[in-house]
Amino acid sequence: MEFFLQQTVNGVTLGSVYALLALGYSMVYGVLKLLNFAHGEVYMFGAFAGYGVLTVLGGASALSVPVWLAIVLMFLAAMATSSAIGVALERFAYRPLREATRIAPLISAIGASFFLQASALLMFTANSRTYDTPQLIEIQTGIALGPIRVWMVRILVIVSAVVLMILLTLWVNRTRLGKAVRAVSFDREAAAMMGIDVDKVIVVVFLIGSALAGIGGVMVGLVFGRIFHLMGFVAGLKAFTAAVVGGIGSIPGAMLGGLLIGLAEAYTTGYISSTFQNVIVFGLLIAVLLVRPSGLLGRPELVKV
Amino acid sequence: MKPVLELRNLSKSFGGLQVIQDLDLVVGAGQIVHEDDPVVGHVEAVDHLDLSLAPGEIVSVIGPNGAGKTTLFNLITGIYEPDDGDIIMDGRSIVGLSPEEIANLGVARTFQTLRVFLNMTVKENVMCSAFGNTGARIWQSVFRTPAARREERQIAELAERKLAFFGDRLMGYRWDQPAYSLSYANRRRLEIARAMATNPRLLMLDEPAAGMNPAETHEITELIGKLRDEVGFSILVIEHDMHVVEGVSDRVIALDHGVKIAEGSFDEVATDPGVIEAYLGYGAADTR
Amino acid sequence: MSDTPGDETRIGVDQWVEQSEDRREKYTGWTAPARRMFDQVSPGWRLALFLLAAAAYPFLVRGSDVRIGITVLLLAMVALGLNVVVGWAGLLDLGYVAFYGFGAYFYAIVASDQLPAHWPTWAAIPVIVATTALLGALLSLPSRRLVGDYLAIMTLFFAQIFLELVRNFERLPFVPDDLDLTGGPNGITGVEPWELFGFEINSQDLFGGVLPNFSRQYYLALIFLALLIMGLHNLNESRTGRAWRALREDTLAAEHMTIPVNRMKLLAFAVGAGIAGLTGAMFAAVQIGVFPTSFTLFFLITMYAAVILGGSGSIPGVVLGAIAIAYVPELLRDPGKAGWLFYIGLGALLYVMVKRWDHVAVTVGSVFVFGLIVRFFSGRIWDESTMGEANDAFMSRLMDDWVLILDAQRDVITNYVFVLAIVGVMLVVVARAWWRIAALVPTLYFAILVWENKLAFEPSITRQLMFGAVLVVMMAVRPQGLLGTRRVEIT
Repeated sequence: MEFFLQQTVNGVTLGSVYALLALGYSMVYGVLKLLNFAHGEVYMFGAFAGYGVLTVLGGASALSVPVWLAIVLMFLAAMATSSAIGVALERFAYRPLREATRIAPLISAIGASFFLQASALLMFTANSRTYDTPQLIEIQTGIALGPIRVWMVRILVIVSAVVLMILLTLWVNRTRLGKAVRAVSFDREAAAMMGIDVDKVIVVVFLIGSALAGIGGVMVGLVFGRIFHLMGFVAGLKAFTAAVVGGIGSIPGAMLGGLLIGLAEAYTTGYISSTFQNVIVFGLLIAVLLVRPSGLLGRPELVKV
Repeated sequence: MKPVLELRNLSKSFGGLQVIQDLDLVVGAGQIVHEDDPVVGHVEAVDHLDLSLAPGEIVSVIGPNGAGKTTLFNLITGIYEPDDGDIIMDGRSIVGLSPEEIANLGVARTFQTLRVFLNMTVKENVMCSAFGNTGARIWQSVFRTPAARREERQIAELAERKLAFFGDRLMGYRWDQPAYSLSYANRRRLEIARAMATNPRLLMLDEPAAGMNPAETHEITELIGKLRDEVGFSILVIEHDMHVVEGVSDRVIALDHGVKIAEGSFDEVATDPGVIEAYLGYGAADTR
Repeated sequence: MSDTPGDETRIGVDQWVEQSEDRREKYTGWTAPARRMFDQVSPGWRLALFLLAAAAYPFLVRGSDVRIGITVLLLAMVALGLNVVVGWAGLLDLGYVAFYGFGAYFYAIVASDQLPAHWPTWAAIPVIVATTALLGALLSLPSRRLVGDYLAIMTLFFAQIFLELVRNFERLPFVPDDLDLTGGPNGITGVEPWELFGFEINSQDLFGGVLPNFSRQYYLALIFLALLIMGLHNLNESRTGRAWRALREDTLAAEHMTIPVNRMKLLAFAVGAGIAGLTGAMFAAVQIGVFPTSFTLFFLITMYAAVILGGSGSIPGVVLGAIAIAYVPELLRDPGKAGWLFYIGLGALLYVMVKRWDHVAVTVGSVFVFGLIVRFFSGRIWDESTMGEANDAFMSRLMDDWVLILDAQRDVITNYVFVLAIVGVMLVVVARAWWRIAALVPTLYFAILVWENKLAFEPSITRQLMFGAVLVVMMAVRPQGLLGTRRVEIT
C-alpha cells in the first residue's frame, strides 16, 4: 500500500508537469491547428534558465538569498526565457507558413526543434546539470499522508501546477483576451472578421504556453534534479501524448491527460520496469489515437464535403 | 428494364438535424415509385427519398440551399451511410460500400466545391480516373514492360479523348499545364472530364454551371446533352440555374428540407406551387 | 471570354487560347538559365550524365574521399525512399529512420557472429527488403484513420519504440538470457561485407590499385542508386505514381476516381520502407557494425533536410539535396575546408539578404571596423582576451588578428554572443533597407566570433544547427526546394 501511494504521488507530481506542458501544446493546436514539436525544447531551456539563476545566486548550498526568493526568481527567469523562445518560434518558424501547405509547418517545427537542441548542445554541452535540491530544500520536510511522507518539493510542484491551471481556466473563460483565444480556436477567419487581432492572440497563446512550459522545466529540475539538453525531446513527446489523450485543443483535457500519463508512467516504472516506461507510454498514445483520435474531452473535427 | 439507380426510403440526419427524409427515386425503369410518408415535427436531412433513374436519362435535382441535395450525392457515393432506406444500383444494394468501390461499379461525380488535383497536370488529372479499369502491377510499372507501356498509351489516349469533349479549351499545350493554372470554368470542365474517364454508367454533376457566365452556361447545357446522346450516360444533376435545368432534364425532382416536394417534367415542377413557394419564384418566371 | 451568348467566338475555344496559342511558364530568377537547360535534357540523358560523373569520381580522388562518396550515395538512396512516402504520397513519416535501422540491424544479425548466423548475401537481402516492406505496411495501417500531424507523431513514436527495443532487447521479459540479438547500447560489430557473384564487396581497392580503397562498395551503391532512380522514375510515371500524387492532393476526390486510397498508402509505406531496408543493409556492411546512435532523430533530420533542400517530389532534386547534405558535413570535419565553407556561406547569405553589391561592400567594411572596435575595447577590459589561440586553418589564421579570440571564460562569453547572433538574425529578417545593414553588421561579427571560438571545432554541432536551420528556412523561403515545383494548396 505504501508503495502504491508513493507511486501515486510520483505520478501526480509528474502528471502536473506533463499537464503544464500539455496545455501549451493544446492551446497552440487550438489556435493554429499545428503541433508545436519544438515545445519540448522551450521547456528544456526554461529548466536551464532556472539553473542559471540558481548558479548566479550562489548555487544550492550557498544561496545569497532566501530559498523562497530563489525559487521565485528561477521561475521568473524560466518564464521569461521560454516565452521569448516561444514567441520567436511563432514569429519566425510558424507565422510565415500560415497560408502554406499542410506539411510545411510540421517540417518547420521539427527543424526548429532540432535547431534548438543543437543550440542547447552548443551552449550547455552534453553534460547534465543538477539542481541539487536536497541542499535547497530540506528533504525531510514534508507532509505526512498516511504511511508515506510527501516531500515539500513535490507539494510545491503539485500546488503550483493546480493554481496555474485554475488561473489559466479563469483567464480563458472570464477575460476578453481569453475569449478571443477561444474564438480564434473555433474559427480563425471569423474571429478576424469580428475585429479580433488574430496575430496578437496567437502571440499571447505562445507566450502563455511557453511560460507554463518554462515553469514546468524548473519544476522538473527541482523534483528530479538532473537536467540535460535532450530532456525536451522525450518529455515533449509524453506531454504531447497527454494533450492528445485528454483531447487536443481542450484545456481541461490537457490537465486530465497530463495526470493520466503521469500516473501511467509512475505505475509502469514502479510495478513493471523503468526500462520500458517510454515504450508503454508511447504504446498508450498509439492505442488512443487509433481508438479515439479526438481524445477523452476533445471535439471531433467536422469537415464539410 | 432494371433501373440504373434506385433510392428507396432514404433518410439521413446529422446530430439531430434530419437532412434527408424518406426519399424515393428511381432512375432507369421509367417507373416512379412514390412512398409519401411525410414526417411531421421533425427536420430530416434526407427524408425517405425515392428516386429512380433510367439508362440514358437525365434527372435534375433542384431545391433551395440546404435542401439536402449534396447530402444526397454524398449518400449515393458512399461518403455517408444512410440511417434508413436503401440505395440500389443495377439491382444490388450499394449501402456500406466505400466510395472507391462505388466508383468501380460505375458511379462518377463532380463536386460542388471543385476538387481537381491542383498540382497535377490537366492530362494527369484525367488519367488518374483510369486506375480502376487498369491492371498494371508495380513490378510491371517499375520495369516498363510492354504490357505496361501499352496500357499507359491507352490511358493517355483515353484522357485525350475525354478532354477533347470540351473543344480546344483543354487540349494541346494545356495537357501539361498544372491544374491550378486553369480558370474556374476550365477547372469545372476538367472535373467533368475526369469523372467521365472512370467509364461510368451514372454521372452525377453537382452544380456544374456554378460560377459560369451565360455563354459558358449555354455550353454546359449543350455538353450535358451531348454526354447523354453521344456517350449514353445516365446523368443526375444538381443545379440552381433554371436555364440549364430546363435545357437538359428529362425529369426534375425538387427537394426542400430533405423531402421530395415535386417530381415530373420541368414545366410541371416549375409551376408547382410548393416549389415556387420554396424558391420564392427564383428562376421560374424567367424561363417563360 | 465573350460576354453574351451568340457572339463571334467559337464555342470551345476561348479568346485567350486563340491569341496565345502556346503559353509556357517562364522561369525567373538567377537559376533560370540553368533550369531551362536542365529541362532541355531528357531524364534519360540526365541520368546518364550523372552516372558518368559519379562513375568517374573514384578515378580522381583518394580512398577517403571515395568513402565520403559512399555516404553520399547511401543518403541519396534512403532519401529517395523517403521521397516516395513524403514527396509523392504526402504522408509525413517521422519514423522512417526506424526502417533504415531495422534493415541495418537485420543484416548485422544475419551476417556476423552475433547469433551467430552467416547468411549468404543473395539470400539475406531479399528477405531483409521484404520484411522491412512488411513492417512498413504494418505501420501504414494506422494511416487509414490518422492524417497529417497525428500520423507524423505516431510514426515518430514508432521510431522511438524501435530504438528503445533495440537498446534494451535483452531486458524484454520473454527474451532468454543468453540471446543477445541487438548488442544493446553497444551495437553489433564485425558485420560482414556483401558478397555477390563470388566477389566480396569490402573496403579494398579495385583492379589492383587503379581505383582507391572503398571503390567496390562505392560502385555497388552507385549501381543500386541507378536502379532505384530508374525504377522510381518509371513508377512515378505510371498509374501507381499518379495514384499516390492524387491521394496526396485530395484523398476524397481520389477515392471517387476509383483509386483505392488505403491500399495506395500501404504501398507507399511498403515501398519506402523496403528501400530503407535495402539501404540499411548496405550501410551496415559499409560501417562493419551497427549502433543505436546511428538511427536517432539526428539521422531522420538529415534525411528530411536532403529531401526538403533538394525538392520533395523530384528525383533529381532529392539526389542533389542528398549530395549537398551529405557532402557538406564531411567538409566541415576538416577545419581548413570548414573555414572556407563557413565564410563563403556567410558571404552568400549576406548577398541574398542585401542583394546589392555596393551594399555588400559597405556591410563588410562596417563589420571590419566593428571588429576592430570590439578588439580595442576588449583589450582594455580583459588583457587575456586577445591572447587566445586560433586554430590552424588558413581563414582562421587570417581572422586571428582581427576577430576576438577569447581565452578566459571562452565558453560563457561565446554562449552570450551566440544568443546575440540569433537575435541579430531575427532582426535582420525583420528589418528593411539601411536598418537591415545596421543589424547585419554586429550579427555577422557575432557569428564569426562564435565560429572561430567554438563552432569551427565542433563539426557535429554545426551540422545539427545547419540541418535544423535548413528545414525552417527552406519552408519559409522556398518550400519546393531547389528542383521541386511550387505546390498550390487550397486550405
